[in-house]
Amino acid sequence: MSSDYTLNELMIIEAARHIRDGETVFVGTGMPMVATMYAQKTHARNICFVVETGPISPEALPVPTSVSDPKAMYRAAKLGTLREVLGCLLQRGMVDVGFLGGAQIDQFGNINSTVIGDYQKPKVRFPGSGGANDIASLAKRILVITPHEKRRFPERCAYLTSPGYLDGPEARKKAGLKSLYPDLTVVTDLAVMSVDKTEGKLKVKKLMPGVSLEKVQESTEFKVQGASSIAPVSIPSGDELRILRDEVDPGREYLGKGD
Amino acid sequence: MTAAEAVRQFVADGALVGMGGQSIGRSAMCIYHEMIRQKKKDLTLVGCNLSIPMDMMVGLGLVRRTECGTGNLERFGTTHCWRKAVEQGKLVNEDYSHLAMVSRFLGGEMGLPFMAIRSLLGSDILAKKCASTGKKYEIIDNPWNPGEKVVLLPSLNPDVSIIHAQKADETGNLIIEGFLAHEPEMTRASKAVIVSCEEVVSSDEIRQYPERTTIPYVYVSAVVHQPWGAHPTSVYRCYAHDGEHIREYQKAAREGGVAFEAYTEKYIFSCGDFDQYLEKVGGFRKYNRLRQEMVEML
Repeated sequence: MSSDYTLNELMIIEAARHIRDGETVFVGTGMPMVATMYAQKTHARNICFVVETGPISPEALPVPTSVSDPKAMYRAAKLGTLREVLGCLLQRGMVDVGFLGGAQIDQFGNINSTVIGDYQKPKVRFPGSGGANDIASLAKRILVITPHEKRRFPERCAYLTSPGYLDGPEARKKAGLKSLYPDLTVVTDLAVMSVDKTEGKLKVKKLMPGVSLEKVQESTEFKVQGASSIAPVSIPSGDELRILRDEVDPGREYLGKGD
Repeated sequence: MTAAEAVRQFVADGALVGMGGQSIGRSAMCIYHEMIRQKKKDLTLVGCNLSIPMDMMVGLGLVRRTECGTGNLERFGTTHCWRKAVEQGKLVNEDYSHLAMVSRFLGGEMGLPFMAIRSLLGSDILAKKCASTGKKYEIIDNPWNPGEKVVLLPSLNPDVSIIHAQKADETGNLIIEGFLAHEPEMTRASKAVIVSCEEVVSSDEIRQYPERTTIPYVYVSAVVHQPWGAHPTSVYRCYAHDGEHIREYQKAAREGGVAFEAYTEKYIFSCGDFDQYLEKVGGFRKYNRLRQEMVEML
């Protein structure tokens, strides 16, 4: 056991724990790539890592700065096309986990990565969906990793880019989505929240070491609800930290240089 | 053909331009620089992820509309000129997802009026649209499975698409190595295609191994031979992206105004061609370093 870790590092390790060995994981840019690389080097050596530019099953090198970075293509089984991965693998229903980062996430697990304010003349323009809407619409399970800041967790997203449970437990079915009741988990540097399928809303399932439910509420605009039992996130072992720091992100591109 | 000739002949003002590459990977920068020097204007730029060249053209006021899945450079930040132009209401952007955009090209390449897709349902990508564009989508019931919703999106046939390949022969047979993103569908959907390439190979070599051809000549209008023609983006098996230069561009784009003007003047307008630009960004030494970086990654 080691106490010498940051919550940012533990967030990445905890998110990776939600990936199971043997699964096909569709990975978004940024933190999801780092966490998936970590999973691949620890408990989930046999996952099929998929990136939207076309790589299928690469062993990514430390550490890609983009989904088009050749580091995300190393030793892939195939460098294909966007249609092959988003169309054939994802839309056909062959992806177990869709792994996303997020700009804004609301109480129903919906993600906004498009705009704040009026669509035609927004106050803030974010990059847009990319493959995120497709991943959230079609993956069997949805995993989101994002730092926990108040402005990132509004009651309702200003613009709904990627669907969580929309506005209630049956809303995905009503909208006609193919993946009806996906497990949806959000891992932050404060907590792990999962959608309670009877309410369609996020509930706190785990807390980071030293973090209280009150602290999570202070950093969240929507009303934070705890699940019936809340477990602590297991602290990382020395080995886990060494793999993350030395093998996944030795240049501290995502782990933070000052930490 | 030179980049200048290709752009004069195949890119008109007001054109619907399909952009290849993605983010910091394999953008045909040498062709876009030429479009900027020739001040091609009123453009509609389409693609999946639109990155540096789109941002430059938007910053210079040459673009009327973008239709895409994302505008950004991931770890290198957002596309600053694009973001500012949208926020100031100077640029119309129509949002789609990446699967949606590639599906629109798929419809286009197969001569169909629309394509079906199963994402976007329940999202604001369908609910919100720009006033100046036509009908964005239609939701139908699957005729063979009533109750199952399917989204139809209008096909897209660019007037001209612009891509960068590792190899091409003089007739336009292309070999693209590495990731392909949306380019096969977009290229085959386009009325004209300009390709810049790292290496021109003989048609005999292409025809000896035709199974390696990514895009056959029938779709391609112009081949421009420009080694290191995608700088500062990367070309798989040839060279890595130039992070240092991307950060220099991003700084100028974020500051805007004089800083952005100084960048475009130094690196585009005051250069007669792309070779002069390549000298300014570090020439042979820089090229060797980025080449070495790529070799080590393979």
